[in-house]
Amino acid sequence: MFNKVLIANRGEIAVRILRACRELGMQTVAVYSEADRHALHVRYADEAYLLGGAQSRDSYLRGDKIIEIARKCGAGAIHPGYGFLAERADFAQACQDAGLAFIGPRPSAIAAMGDKAVARATVTRAGVPVVPGTEGEGSLRDDELLQLAPQIGFPLLIKATAGGGGKGMREVRFLEEMPGLLNAARREAEASFGDGNVYLEKLVEGARHIEIQILADEHGNVVHLGERECSLQRRHQKLLEESPSPFVGENEELRQRMGEVAVRAAQAVHYVNAGTIEFLVDKDKNFYFLEMNTRLQVEHPVTELVTGLDIVKEQIRIARGRHLRYQQSDVRMNGWAIECRINAEDPYNNFLPSTGRISHSILPTGPGVRVDTGVFPGFEISPYYDSLISKLIVWGETRAEAILRMRRALEEYKIVGVRTNIPFHQNLMDSHRFMGGQFDTRFVEERFSMDAPEEGRGSRPEIAAIFATLVAHRETQLAAHVIRRGERDTSNWKWLSRWERLQR
Amino acid sequence: MKYVTTIGEREFLVEIVDDNTVIVDGVTFLVDFDSAGSQPVYSMLVDGRSYEAYVYPAEDSLQVLLHGTLYTANVEDEREKRLRASAGSRVAERGEYYLKAPMPGLVVTVPVKEGQAVERGDVLLILESMKMQNELKSPRAGKVGRVRVKPGDSVEQRQTLLSVV
Repeated sequence: MFNKVLIANRGEIAVRILRACRELGMQTVAVYSEADRHALHVRYADEAYLLGGAQSRDSYLRGDKIIEIARKCGAGAIHPGYGFLAERADFAQACQDAGLAFIGPRPSAIAAMGDKAVARATVTRAGVPVVPGTEGEGSLRDDELLQLAPQIGFPLLIKATAGGGGKGMREVRFLEEMPGLLNAARREAEASFGDGNVYLEKLVEGARHIEIQILADEHGNVVHLGERECSLQRRHQKLLEESPSPFVGENEELRQRMGEVAVRAAQAVHYVNAGTIEFLVDKDKNFYFLEMNTRLQVEHPVTELVTGLDIVKEQIRIARGRHLRYQQSDVRMNGWAIECRINAEDPYNNFLPSTGRISHSILPTGPGVRVDTGVFPGFEISPYYDSLISKLIVWGETRAEAILRMRRALEEYKIVGVRTNIPFHQNLMDSHRFMGGQFDTRFVEERFSMDAPEEGRGSRPEIAAIFATLVAHRETQLAAHVIRRGERDTSNWKWLSRWERLQR
Repeated sequence: MKYVTTIGEREFLVEIVDDNTVIVDGVTFLVDFDSAGSQPVYSMLVDGRSYEAYVYPAEDSLQVLLHGTLYTANVEDEREKRLRASAGSRVAERGEYYLKAPMPGLVVTVPVKEGQAVERGDVLLILESMKMQNELKSPRAGKVGRVRVKPGDSVEQRQTLLSVV
């Protein structure tokens, strides 16, 4: 039985897993790239070993090196986190072959759910509904896809077979635009996954993205931990998640039905450990299996806050061969949790990623607030990895309390050095449609604007004008002051022009 | 010192009398203003009301992020304002526009060619950074000038990528 865990990840999730290990009394091993020498996970772990260069392929994707380090330092298990090697069946297999426990599902389950066509076929056999599409058909050529498209009906989606995170995904409104979009999708899929295969899927309009968290042990027990609402996305990247879903709400019958279907999908691949079944839910509350994420999810904390379970600790217990400590009837959802993903992106500039050194940061605290992060003042946000700075999660007795708490936490949160999407979340919290739970997966892109705040929102241009004027005034005075000093050997005019050039 | 500060359509006449007194459009405010160290987060007490905002320098303006709203403020002293008035309308639509990398990254594609006519909003270049493909668009119509990078190039922040004439 292992009691030393190597965490094959970085950032907030590495820190999150380290914490769970600590609380269970486990020894911890961090691995890091050259860019992450000063990262929090390196500092928090009992041991830390360098993997290689900053690029993921030279470091966090080097499964061979990671396994070698685990063996050398005597770690008995590897936790992959999310992303990187988390859903690579070959890596899970290599761990097994090296005699290491992989804290996650068996390689066969990762492989079955990782190939979307196989996944669909498998869950369909288990009686789980799927969205109409060509996924079970294998890899089709463009002319075949063009022929099948009208049968599925427009609008439809082109999706990458090996895909995820919206890469290689294109929406098609009519047949004529399809050839060009197929090209673009294949190119992007090839670049992202090294696999240009794509399939077609009917686009469910007005759809919500709702997922069910499950836990399964090695002894055949599976429970679900209720749903998470993940419809608020931009370019297929989730921005905000909550649990429960306002769309499911009081409808306990729907919740249990989705939960049971999720459990059946997991059982169909003999799933072990924590996993998530994603569903598309249409406006009539029909739900369709989208995919299964065979790993810990970014948004797992909202489920933790409403169920009171520590999912990462449960993962470790399961990997140690323990029985689940809960039966379905023991799982109760209490209150409401919301998570905002705080990204280094500028919401006022088309959400372009922002890099730089975090010079200053004040974290929100107080009742009902949790922040999962891997950054601190002095940390450099580099272009090598994703833009997630932290996850801000709040709990409230009701959804209304959770929203009010999130508003105050967002206002408290200060990050200086990079631009963040905190103002986006603040605007979202004020949006009437969000408050009313009236949104689908297209809401952020199609019906939400940073430029047009909701009516009745306190606008204070005169206060902003005073701020701007005082700052400008200070700078003018500072410049005048600097030039007045007579200590320079060159003339003030020359010096001024140099100084001005520096400011450009 | 008197300033004219413009936010959107609104002009504010702001007079800074001393460290604690500011007159905005004829109304006097008692102000206590300070920054958190050398940070762009500023705290301001205006007649006892406490405000906190980020103030970022931008091109020719200051951006004020206050309570989740971004205000773009142009601050001019009266002399600048008069100069600008006499110079007539601005000539921003002329001259060369240099597309610079907003962040370090990898050039994925350059869908335009030198000499090609582009419209405002056309994609000039796709830059990959933080695992996202970012479309960099033309801020105005024109012709593509020299393209200085090619797909596969790694670029630094603020590196000039191409120009639009």
